[in-house]
Amino acid sequence: MRLKREVARRVFAKEFNASRFKIGGEVEREPVYLLTPLGLKCNRIFIVGALLEKEETRSEEVLRIRVADPTGSFLGFVGKFDPEARDSLAEIDVPSTVAVTAKAKLLERDEKVTPFIRPESIVATDFETRDYWILETAKATLKRIELMNSENELAKLAKEKYNTKVEEYKEMVILALQKLKEETEISETTEEDFDDSIEEEIMGLNDIY
Amino acid sequence: MDKISSIVNEIYELFKDYGVKKSDIEKRVKLLIFEFKVPEEEARRTVINGLRREYEVSRDSLRYPLTKISELEPGKWVSVKAKVLQLWNATSASVAQWGVIGDETGTARFVIWAKSGKKRVEENKCYLFEKVVVDEFGGAKSVKVTSISEIKEIDEEIEVSEGGEIEASGALVSISQNSGLVQVCKSCERITKAGICPEHGKVETIEVLRLRGVLDDGDRTYDVEFSENAIKSLTGIDLATAKKIAYEHLDRGIVLEELKKRLLGKYLRISGEFRLNTINAKSAEFLKVDVSKEVEKILAKVGI
Repeated sequence: MRLKREVARRVFAKEFNASRFKIGGEVEREPVYLLTPLGLKCNRIFIVGALLEKEETRSEEVLRIRVADPTGSFLGFVGKFDPEARDSLAEIDVPSTVAVTAKAKLLERDEKVTPFIRPESIVATDFETRDYWILETAKATLKRIELMNSENELAKLAKEKYNTKVEEYKEMVILALQKLKEETEISETTEEDFDDSIEEEIMGLNDIY
Repeated sequence: MDKISSIVNEIYELFKDYGVKKSDIEKRVKLLIFEFKVPEEEARRTVINGLRREYEVSRDSLRYPLTKISELEPGKWVSVKAKVLQLWNATSASVAQWGVIGDETGTARFVIWAKSGKKRVEENKCYLFEKVVVDEFGGAKSVKVTSISEIKEIDEEIEVSEGGEIEASGALVSISQNSGLVQVCKSCERITKAGICPEHGKVETIEVLRLRGVLDDGDRTYDVEFSENAIKSLTGIDLATAKKIAYEHLDRGIVLEELKKRLLGKYLRISGEFRLNTINAKSAEFLKVDVSKEVEKILAKVGI
């Protein structure tokens, strides 16, 4: 049987960054997954957010990036082994809105565990795509929150490992959605303002002729 | 007389897949009613039972008639002989397995509930799904396997129809490097390298516009091959425009770059035929959603 492609999960930065444990990878060729505090098992994720940093690291061959969503930011490294992501990253300005498909990883050093991403592809995108991502990620997160009270094995494992405070994440989702609401409302009013100013402009022209 | 023909028709519907002739049923029914003066209801039951024994049809298979995928109706309990075409990773604890099945009339989704406690099915094997219920979700028919259902592997090859339509939406998370304006072998349409086809050697080539990628909705992935028409409706680029762009830049690769720039990471809704684990997208559009309305809906659900 052919190897199944890993699904790119939707997760907010805050939940992702609180991840400390891996599962899988024990048998040969079995992929390694991150386990988040809400019981999401992910090997690949899809993010749409603001590219805030793109810096060379000491090793020069590796770029360090930071992509922010309404809840926090994802730390990422793009190396020479990801030529597609590296090439496209070169053409993207900071800050801009980007869509990233990435492998989810954990950096374990000196008893400190840091989650990060390794982008496979990164492209400049628009606010519409970002808004939809926030919406979709909010839904996926709420679904996981709901499962935390069930007999779901991953949920039980997450509770045991993290002692997750579910309320905290529920607030995170609500905040993200409220921000999104404010934002769309702002952009709608500016559009109206824009129409108004065009109207004034036209009136002005009429005065001249 | 009308009553009799309706009884005959009803019985025929039950047994037609077993090779029973309508004339035979009519003879049996008339014999009982006219010769033996048996009440109609008794005649009906007797004929059904007789045929059941003769053709070795179980009571269950009459209650859950063997149905072709194109004839599945939501709410009906049926049995389906089909090939498992694709399995998706289960995303909820209540689901043991889910994916796509197909037969010679089309494809449908299926779900095996965790509570049903069934043995796992495998991709590319054929099964008889007995006593399953049909429902509809997002325009796609879906077959549910519950604890009363039965799944039996069958030793016959089912030719899956190419006519199965499927709709899907998600983010285009990957675009294959074999996309864009590519040169293919004139006879087999495989991609050629420096005019060499992996199958036919040195060949005459033609240029085609191709887009292959992976659509991912966070729960499952779909391999997608976009038709030229679908590419055009998303990007405005057709084969002629692609050739023009390539010639202007003296580089075919620029077409792939352009497709990536416009489509990678974008949310799309596609529809097309599902075949060989790939959706052949006939049409595609960018996903449009009223964000504020959706936000209100979710907030209301969580009590804000």
